[in-house]
Amino acid sequence: MKSSSLNPIIVKELRERFRSKKTVWTLALFLLIMGGIPLGFLIVNPIKAGSLGQNKDLFVISAALHYAMICFVAPALTAGAVSGERERQTLNILLTTQLSPRTIIWSKLFTSLAFTSLLVIASMPLYSIVMLYGSVSPEQLLTLALFFGVNIMFLGSLGLFCSTWIKRTAVSTIIAYGIAFFFVVVTGLLFLFLGEILIQLTPDRSLQQEVWGRPELQYLAGINPVIVLFAILGETVLPTIRFDFTPWLFFSCFYLVLSILLVLWSAYLLRPIRRKWWSWKK
Amino acid sequence: MIETIHLSKSYGKVQALIDLQLRIEQGKVFGFIGPNGAGKSTTMMILSTLLEPTEGEAFVCGYDVRKEPAEVRQSLGYMPDFFGVYDNLTAVEYLDFYAGAFKIAPHKRSSLIADLLELVNLSDKAEAYVDSLSRGMQQRLSLARCLIHDPQVLILDEPASGLDPRARIELREILKQLRCMGKTILISSHILPELAELCDDIGIIEKGRLIACGGLDEVSIRARGVTLMMVKTLRNHHRAALILAENMFVEDLEENMDGFRFRFIGSDHQKAELLQKLIEAEVAVSYFGESSENLEAVFLAITEGVAGR
Repeated sequence: MKSSSLNPIIVKELRERFRSKKTVWTLALFLLIMGGIPLGFLIVNPIKAGSLGQNKDLFVISAALHYAMICFVAPALTAGAVSGERERQTLNILLTTQLSPRTIIWSKLFTSLAFTSLLVIASMPLYSIVMLYGSVSPEQLLTLALFFGVNIMFLGSLGLFCSTWIKRTAVSTIIAYGIAFFFVVVTGLLFLFLGEILIQLTPDRSLQQEVWGRPELQYLAGINPVIVLFAILGETVLPTIRFDFTPWLFFSCFYLVLSILLVLWSAYLLRPIRRKWWSWKK
Repeated sequence: MIETIHLSKSYGKVQALIDLQLRIEQGKVFGFIGPNGAGKSTTMMILSTLLEPTEGEAFVCGYDVRKEPAEVRQSLGYMPDFFGVYDNLTAVEYLDFYAGAFKIAPHKRSSLIADLLELVNLSDKAEAYVDSLSRGMQQRLSLARCLIHDPQVLILDEPASGLDPRARIELREILKQLRCMGKTILISSHILPELAELCDDIGIIEKGRLIACGGLDEVSIRARGVTLMMVKTLRNHHRAALILAENMFVEDLEENMDGFRFRFIGSDHQKAELLQKLIEAEVAVSYFGESSENLEAVFLAITEGVAGR
């Protein structure tokens, strides 16, 4: 065995992960689902010369499926990262080494993100089938990849935070999914309900559609991944929103900042002796 | 090497540790004895920078555990009472991971790991997966892990718990080697006689208070006139039982197949008189002396009063 100068947690986690049969099965199942659906679509809608460049449905289905899989996999991979160490009773030993809590958290996040990214990258060639149908620009594909990246980062950080905050992996996984549900579904519903309430409160019928353009509703829509995903795909799921900003850019900034805060908070929670800033003295 | 000054720790209203004053000199092996929940692990965790004391100060190698945790961690090797296993890692990879965690240069690691595995008699298990090792082997591997950064202090929380007698003996031999290497060792155990052979000093802790501390003889209740005694007889066993039962200095007499176990509360002179009586009664005494479980008697006698408080 050759010793590595890389971060020891990353080396250990990757070693453990890729020696596990579960990893191979996860990857196989992911590709089966991601490949099976476009294949089924191909069978139902054979490519016709006349419809080339016209059919965007496959792209929308693939992207939505990809996003759903990320929502399912990313929190699960990190929700046991720290609580798992605690349950195995290896966390205390780890905390008596020279690895700082921040290094431990970043390393755990990195290895989990690496695996989720592997899943996404491994399934990217499936988009070549989408390309057969056309109607997708390379820019759209790149924005979609960035959108997935931000989601992986955020959901991974969320799972990691829950894992540090809550002692048991099962509970931490449930809470991570619960919070993810809030961001993915509840923010969308809030946007819809608030918009409808504001419409009801607007007596002038001609101004009712202006409600959807209000800045607070735009911001709410801008943090909802489903609305932003469909904006990237050029589709609409909810009432048409006129964004005064680029939705994916706002979305990316918001969730990247939130991810960094969650990671820093996790590192703080992991510290065995938490020094409060007002009690700091040498 | 290890020093605590008025160290206290409370969890809400529960006082886990009360005003602990401890000083362990370099190269000494200090045995920490106490029942579950007495405060042994709490003390060890505070010293290992894993818990913050409520009051007081603690120093390891001169470093303050609260203000200089990184230096403290570099100076000590901590072994908790439970060995946590990483799946899918071999013994070498396990040690390599911790070598990396202590920022040991990659080119130094292979020889260091080989030496440590040899020290704990696990060279033949280098490529075995950690979770496939026996409990005793895992404990020895854990000890090797503690030594990976060559710390001056070792904090071992019940290292012998759950081990079979052979594994305990093996572990004890390694600890003796470490003592010879000049390591300062703080060790806690429930298996009290084990510490008797190994420790220079012992501390008895009960309900968060250190109730006795010092050399084994110093702490021993021999000074208080109580000894756990054992008498073995070859002939006239019943006559011996009668003499012992009638002796006013004998308490808690237990009869075994080949002898007796009891607490003697008299002086050495009275002990000699008892032996003489047995011989005069033609009891064939093959052994008359302190029981190997004497440390247990020390512990029980000292904690007797505290438990009732």
